[in-house]
Amino acid sequence: MSSSAYAPAMERTQDSVVKRQYKPKRDWAKWGLATYFVIFLIFLYAPMILMAILSFQGYQGGVTFPFSGPAGLDWWRSIFVNEVHHGQQVIFTNADGIRTAGEGSLWVSLAAGAIVAFLAFTLSMAFRRRFRGDGVAFYIILLALMTPGFLLGLGTQIFWKAMNQETSLWHTALGTNTVWGIPFGFLVMTAIWNRYDDHIDEAARDLGANAARTFGEVTLPLVWTGIFGAFLFGFTLTWNDFDRTALLVVGNLTLPLEIVGLIQAAALRPDLYALGTATTLVSLAVIVTFLVVLTIRSRFRRAPVQSVEEELGLGGGIDAEAAEQVVEG
Amino acid sequence: MSSSSTPDPPPHLDLADIEEDELEVEQEHERALGEQRGAQRERGGGWVTLAWAAPGFLWLGFFLIAPLVFIVLMSFWTPDTSVGFVKDWTTQNYSDLVHPFSLDNAYWKDMWRSFQISAIAVAACLVFGFPVAYFLAMKVEKLQYQIALFILALAPFWTSFITRSVAWAYPLMGSHGALNTFLVKLGVSSYDHPLLNTQFTQLSVQLAMIQLYILFMVTPIFFLLAQVDRHAIEAARDLGGNWWSTFREVVLPQTMPGVVIGSIFIFVLTMGEYGTVQVISQGAVTTVGVYIQTQIVGTQYPQGAASAVLLVFILILGVFAITRFSNLREDI
Amino acid sequence: MAEGVAESNSEGAAPAAPSAQTGSGLDLIGLTKVFPGGAVAVDDVNLHIDHGEYVVLLGPSGCGKTTTLRMIGGHEYPTEGDIVLDGESLVDLPPHRRPTTTVFQHFALFPHRTVLDNVAFGLKMEGIGKGERRKKAMEALEMVGLSELKDRKPAALSGGQQQRVALARVLVTKPKALLLDEPLGDLDRLLQLRMRVELRNLQRQLGLMFIHVTHNQEEALSMADRVVVMNEARIQQAADPLTIATRPATELVARFMGDNNIIHGKVTERTGNRLLVEDAAHLRASVTVENGGGPAVGDDVFVSVRAAAVELADGAAGEKTVNSADCEIVFVEFLGDLVKLHLTAGGERMLAKVPGDRYHALRGREGETVRIVWKEGDVQLLDA
Repeated sequence: MSSSAYAPAMERTQDSVVKRQYKPKRDWAKWGLATYFVIFLIFLYAPMILMAILSFQGYQGGVTFPFSGPAGLDWWRSIFVNEVHHGQQVIFTNADGIRTAGEGSLWVSLAAGAIVAFLAFTLSMAFRRRFRGDGVAFYIILLALMTPGFLLGLGTQIFWKAMNQETSLWHTALGTNTVWGIPFGFLVMTAIWNRYDDHIDEAARDLGANAARTFGEVTLPLVWTGIFGAFLFGFTLTWNDFDRTALLVVGNLTLPLEIVGLIQAAALRPDLYALGTATTLVSLAVIVTFLVVLTIRSRFRRAPVQSVEEELGLGGGIDAEAAEQVVEG
Repeated sequence: MSSSSTPDPPPHLDLADIEEDELEVEQEHERALGEQRGAQRERGGGWVTLAWAAPGFLWLGFFLIAPLVFIVLMSFWTPDTSVGFVKDWTTQNYSDLVHPFSLDNAYWKDMWRSFQISAIAVAACLVFGFPVAYFLAMKVEKLQYQIALFILALAPFWTSFITRSVAWAYPLMGSHGALNTFLVKLGVSSYDHPLLNTQFTQLSVQLAMIQLYILFMVTPIFFLLAQVDRHAIEAARDLGGNWWSTFREVVLPQTMPGVVIGSIFIFVLTMGEYGTVQVISQGAVTTVGVYIQTQIVGTQYPQGAASAVLLVFILILGVFAITRFSNLREDI
Repeated sequence: MAEGVAESNSEGAAPAAPSAQTGSGLDLIGLTKVFPGGAVAVDDVNLHIDHGEYVVLLGPSGCGKTTTLRMIGGHEYPTEGDIVLDGESLVDLPPHRRPTTTVFQHFALFPHRTVLDNVAFGLKMEGIGKGERRKKAMEALEMVGLSELKDRKPAALSGGQQQRVALARVLVTKPKALLLDEPLGDLDRLLQLRMRVELRNLQRQLGLMFIHVTHNQEEALSMADRVVVMNEARIQQAADPLTIATRPATELVARFMGDNNIIHGKVTERTGNRLLVEDAAHLRASVTVENGGGPAVGDDVFVSVRAAAVELADGAAGEKTVNSADCEIVFVEFLGDLVKLHLTAGGERMLAKVPGDRYHALRGREGETVRIVWKEGDVQLLDA
């Protein structure tokens, strides 16, 4: 094991060693795909951005380009107030309808969120252990995910009619809307349970907590973000829903219905765009909330820190005499 | 059962035999252990599980299963001009739909149109969406950026389809929309006869479908690609594979489940589209969804139900075909 | 198959630590666990453990040791049998009412609570007020040397630190018995070795009953007053470490403990209580049995000889030699303090352990033939 193997190299002079410079090769694929991705994003966002731009037009603005100025919040204001005055003109806005629809959407979406959160949570609790028929049960949840809203709305209409009931927003559409939210919430909760260490519950039981206290002190604080996520799913899917609600509700009781109603009434003005942009912003706010909540959560998730001290066998001292005090004192 | 503590068997013995034995023992243990673990999860099943599962399944039973069941029931009942329907059993609704089986029959014409739109949407979403998923999963280094960009791409999904359709239809695709204005500047279109709107309304719908649903394809593929073992790819390269053969043999098979899920999702959901279709085409394009909705609005419940049931059949056939196709691909 | 109620004192056993606990101890009586689906995890286990004893349940994955521990702790419900602690049956008590506490393999600390709150948890469940329980928790943390970390969250701790927090957390609740499920498994190797000592000292000082589950043979031998080797849901042998190491009772114990040469052959001769065993490769060993009992000529038997009891000798073994063999060296494995010689004799794998300073003389001699010998007294007759 002498150094003789290495000596020749070290004896070489600087001159005879050829210096090479390495430039990292360009990953053309990466840049090409990145460009594609940007184009993709533009493709996705363009309509909404254009809509947002047009919503800032002046009162003479129309539904399409060219942009008619001056830029301002006229149309934004008009979704809230009933009349807008421009000089001598009084323009009647759709604010009434919008307000009714907005309130409807808001409360129904909140209710749907709560229902989805509750049911996604309870269903996922059932699936923490295997049980007889869990295959069928899972397929039902899958069915809830895959059934087109339109079919569901149709079926619910028929079901209600067959029972001689009239469908309504709160009695019918609310429930139908939750059907699509439940599998999403369930998925979120299942992901959470998969990463959940059941031993933590057992440790709590061991230390004297009964089932209820274990849940309140230990389980819930660790999974509440999933429940909140399920709530957000339920909220957003209902907030944005058209297919189901349209078939079950008479009148423009939610914002999507109101928007389509305005289109069909050929009331095509930029306030439509302001409304559309506003509803979109609400949806986006939901995502941001979700992300914020997620980051809070991830603070628990880091793997244990490696300690060199411990790898070397140092550290770890336990004062056995003090222990005796603790245990018997 | 581990044998003595040494790992190297002496060269005189049949290595294969020993390894086989040890492997068998290992596998036995793995299986027993797995059985045990799987069985362990069932502790305390019984009524506790039932209590947890009951609310959700009762709710779904009422709001999901019952409606679907009633569609089937209704399809066998008789239409009635005053009340809408009467609970007399008949198969007339089906024969009305099936017998003049030609594309002149509005139902099948619309079905066929829906099918075209859906099939093209699936294919297009796959072709255009795959590179997006690939970029995010394989080319973006840090996990945080991956997730951030993914959320960025996902955000539009969280907005209303209707709103996006509206935004698509007018500011972008309208006769004075951004796109047409651009085409006018190029000289291929005019404000009075916008190229895309008058001649290619269906194309407009088609493009909108892609824009609306592409994320259903990107998401599952992204998740699967992210789980592909990078070491397996390196190993394939090591063994002499170029990019394409590595992709074909190692990466692509692992993404097939995502492709299948995405395809099924997009196919099923687009076949049922009616709201956005109406908004975008202003009524010019009819799909089977629109057709059925018209029936419902006209209180033709039994006919609507029968139309819906047949639609579900077509959907099931489509899903079946997709899964078959993917299995075939995998074998290849 | 060696089972039945295992004695708590046998030759070579260290006396159990003086215990503050009085009581008859823990009894597992006919304990059986069959999972739905038919898998038998624990099959008729009978064991008595005194207060102050350090018992290690040892065995390969899936042998039932963890399930047994979980049943004692209340996290698994037995199919049959009873668990009695100081005369009181535990089986109907849920975990939070049992006087046992468990230290889990991955520590199971509450991620959302600080270290101090983790340790104080058990006291909180007892209803002790905030000030008082925090004081006691601090005492426990000082005991494990982690008092400066009291406000950290578990995610910011290293594996060894987490383990000490887990220990503090359970000890503060003054259990009658401590159950440890592979407690050292997640630690770096050198820390493992250190913690063996720390844990054992702790147990001695406390005089508390510790029941420790592991698959690590060395760990078991090092820490236990008694080792209970389990396999396939049953107890193979329950005895003090010295006995387990030098006189394994069954083939499975001999194999699992490792470093045993196992000869599977037939009895060719029996002279009084002395048997001569020969296997297919003509390896011969002699062993003495109890008066009158034991196998007869022609019977199929297993015997084992510890690798450490095998020595190298000069000369050739010759044809009719007993307790000796000519072997070819396959691999000379240097392990610092000792050398493991991997040998083959007529197709059979053999193992010899010699002191490490002999490495110099043995290095590079793979392929050569050597003669190995062992004493008849070191030959162990195994139950099937």
